[in-house]
Amino acid sequence: MNIKLEQVTKNYGNVQGISNINLEVSRGITGILGPNGAGKSTTMKIILGLSRPSRGRITVNGKNPFDDWELKKDFGFVPEYDCFYEHMSGLEFVCYFLRMHDFQREEAEKRAREALTELGLEEAMERKINTYSRGMRQKTKVARATVFNPRVLVMDEPFQGADPTTRMLLMKKMTEWAENGKTILISSHILHDIQSLTDNIALINNGKMLAHGNRHEIRNLINIPRPITIVPVKDGNLRKLAKRLLDEKWTKATSIDEDTNELTVETTQTEDVYLEIPKILQKEKITVERIYSEDDSLDSLYAKLVEGHQWK
Amino acid sequence: MEIIDKIGKLPDIVQSFAKRSKNLFPPIAKDCIYRLLVNKITWIVVAILLLPCVLGVVIYFQTDEDRQVRESNGEKVYYDEDGDLIHEDAREEFLNIFDLFVISFVAIIMAIIFSSELINEEFENKTMQLLRTTPIHPFEIILHRYLAGVISMFAILGLNAIIFYYAVMMPSGTHGILENLDVLLMVLQILLFESLAFIAIFCVFTTYLEKPYLVGIIYWIVWESFVSTQNYQQLTITHYLNSMIFNSTKAMGWDVQASDFNLVNSNEEILATEPFTAMLIIVVIAILSLILASRGIANRQF
Repeated sequence: MNIKLEQVTKNYGNVQGISNINLEVSRGITGILGPNGAGKSTTMKIILGLSRPSRGRITVNGKNPFDDWELKKDFGFVPEYDCFYEHMSGLEFVCYFLRMHDFQREEAEKRAREALTELGLEEAMERKINTYSRGMRQKTKVARATVFNPRVLVMDEPFQGADPTTRMLLMKKMTEWAENGKTILISSHILHDIQSLTDNIALINNGKMLAHGNRHEIRNLINIPRPITIVPVKDGNLRKLAKRLLDEKWTKATSIDEDTNELTVETTQTEDVYLEIPKILQKEKITVERIYSEDDSLDSLYAKLVEGHQWK
Repeated sequence: MEIIDKIGKLPDIVQSFAKRSKNLFPPIAKDCIYRLLVNKITWIVVAILLLPCVLGVVIYFQTDEDRQVRESNGEKVYYDEDGDLIHEDAREEFLNIFDLFVISFVAIIMAIIFSSELINEEFENKTMQLLRTTPIHPFEIILHRYLAGVISMFAILGLNAIIFYYAVMMPSGTHGILENLDVLLMVLQILLFESLAFIAIFCVFTTYLEKPYLVGIIYWIVWESFVSTQNYQQLTITHYLNSMIFNSTKAMGWDVQASDFNLVNSNEEILATEPFTAMLIIVVIAILSLILASRGIANRQF
């Protein structure tokens, strides 16, 4: 399934939901990352055909999901919010939606039992949903969305309210589903959830797409120096090394932390740095404990993007 | 050419729709009927409906001794103190009270409540968003809920009509009760068509409006209560229901005038519609309303 958003804008009256979003989603997991109110849910609703773009074009396999009801056979949706028939049991709820997908009663019940059992709800599936914990509700939503084996899974904040066990179980299942060829779109404002699932990330803030790609590609779009930290084995090498590195054209600045015995180089040419530093260290006969860049983590990228750093 | 192609495919579409409905209707109806029956307001309405029935029973026991009984062809026929047949007065009382209290008032309130519970609640609980991500067509979303609403409303009001009929006709004995079953059948027919029409109309309100209760009540007071007595009353459902009652009672040999049912214009000309035409118009209005409501669901953005 190929999902394509071209210059999609959605306005709610005078309020702008998203603006000129371009995104192409194909097989595997794609994470949509952004703070609350960034436009993640709006983007997902447009993909699901729950909302029509004010401008731009959305196509799923070349068709418009807002008008094409047949297309919805292939969509599984896990909403961010609770939307249950609270008087039903988990089993009845999942069965009910399977019937909407044209499954006969017996087949629907069999599949619903399997899906709920797989997600660890075998004990609770006959209980009414209004007695469920948040984690159980989350699992029920996921079971409902995946039970008919859709080709596309759209999951809006699927880990919200989930305990660590549920979180790990859901992550494991998502990885399995992706390996089985599903197209999975996950939104989250929790970076680590996305980071541990995929490297294919779309960053959204204030309704605008800030970046799309893997985190290194995204990092390279940011036009600010990136810190790389070197920790030598012996004390006393720091100043010598700092002085030597300052001679390099790719070094913007260096700083030393003598308490932790760390030297930090700021650069905009990361790849050159990673190639050159080992050579310099070898020449200067300096042994290092480790070289790292915290800036590689999604946390720092996210912080930078959301704080509004300039782009190349 | 495209239209001809579409018409050609119509039998297949209808067949596939009927096949899908067999699978879709039972779970939707079960859920909707359950929701309607556990709704507190439904039970308040049921309690209100039972009040006249209780009153009828009380009146029966208070006037029981005033009745006179005569044997006719082996049957007991009851007369009042003045020597008039009790069942002839009782059937008129039944129809008048039921028309005024249930057909013109409670049934419409019930249709507003039911359509709101069936459709508006799904928007508020956001389950409609989930339904919109399934391959079920908006017309199917609305139709099965509508049918569940009609069945529930007709069952409650029909049962109430039977109880009320029995309570009012009790003084006339078994003879009176059986003699006037055609009045009860007519009332049941009216209730069925009233349920068909009003739930469909209020479904339109609930799909397009944020506050369907309020608009529904305004519609009832302004349109169905006021306009239905004016020259353009053919634009109201009440006109067709009144026409059905008027024609049926006339066919049963009652001494009724069109003006008794407000079926005249300002020049005192009779405006009553033929019963079959009235029924047909109600069904057409219901179908058009459902199509309109399904467009409302299809175009609703979340």
